Amino acid sequence: MSDINPLRKILIYIDGSESSILAAQFAISMAKQFSSELRVIYVVNENLLNELLKAKVFVQMEKMDYERDLEEDGKRYINYVTKLADRKGVKVETILRKGVVHEEVAHEVEEYDCDLLIQGELGEVLSLRDSFYEEGERILRKVKCPVMVVRGQDRIEKLFDEL
Amino acid sequence: MRLTEFITTDHVKLELEGTNKAEIIEELVELLVATCDVSDADTIYEAVMNREREGSTGLEKGVAIPHAKSDAVGSLSIVIGVSKNGVEFESQDEKPAHLFFMMVAPTTESGPHVQAIAKIVKIIKIDRIRDMLIKAKKSEDIVEIIRRVEDGEIA
Repeated sequence: MSDINPLRKILIYIDGSESSILAAQFAISMAKQFSSELRVIYVVNENLLNELLKAKVFVQMEKMDYERDLEEDGKRYINYVTKLADRKGVKVETILRKGVVHEEVAHEVEEYDCDLLIQGELGEVLSLRDSFYEEGERILRKVKCPVMVVRGQDRIEKLFDEL
Repeated sequence: MRLTEFITTDHVKLELEGTNKAEIIEELVELLVATCDVSDADTIYEAVMNREREGSTGLEKGVAIPHAKSDAVGSLSIVIGVSKNGVEFESQDEKPAHLFFMMVAPTTESGPHVQAIAKIVKIIKIDRIRDMLIKAKKSEDIVEIIRRVEDGEIA
């Protein structure tokens, strides 16, 4: 039997949603189990802010203000995941980017050369037009590696607690 | 996130009585105070008006999204108002605004705030749905239309 580890490197995409934090817990569990390297990425959705600016819902100063806020949010979420990993004795590298979310995640997948991308539950997609707005969906279509979509809060929290 | 997590019939006022921007915002802030976790109505009013001074949130086709960040709300708070006659709101197309989504979020909740605004923009861009919202006869209709959009029953 080959001793190649199919889960050498795992990347977690978090957006701050409860579901993405749950995905991070599952990723930490897997990384511990398979001795995988782990990296977490958060992307400030600069594209969405630019769209709201273009639609004149935001003014320039406001957009910059929200961008700073979202960056701070990102740092906070990443720190939280780092602490969760620390608690389980798992090391995690952190990446915070700004831009078009699915493009940044796809770029990171290639750069990190990860074996698996883990993300939270997909948002509800109302129509094909909507799927272009839903970042989880876009990531799923764009990245060139296996993707795991994590669901099942009770099961994962239990697994994480028992780890 | 779903808008209907934040919007019930209590958060909707049809027949807004205000005849100008300041009165409409005042009326919406009153609704916000009555239905959401708000500690100081004056602070909210000033925050929303200050934002309007930077640039009107009156968009096109009768819709306005007055919004602000303020720690005078405990969590993301949304109310909806409809003015049948329409109000001059310094809109992009210079036409009266009929449909108002007021949103105020604490300074620590920018993520959900941006998502909610984006979702509303997406909904009101659809002509048929925007018209249905403006012509709604009951608060229940507004909530139901948003729910149906979010459930993919209409698009």
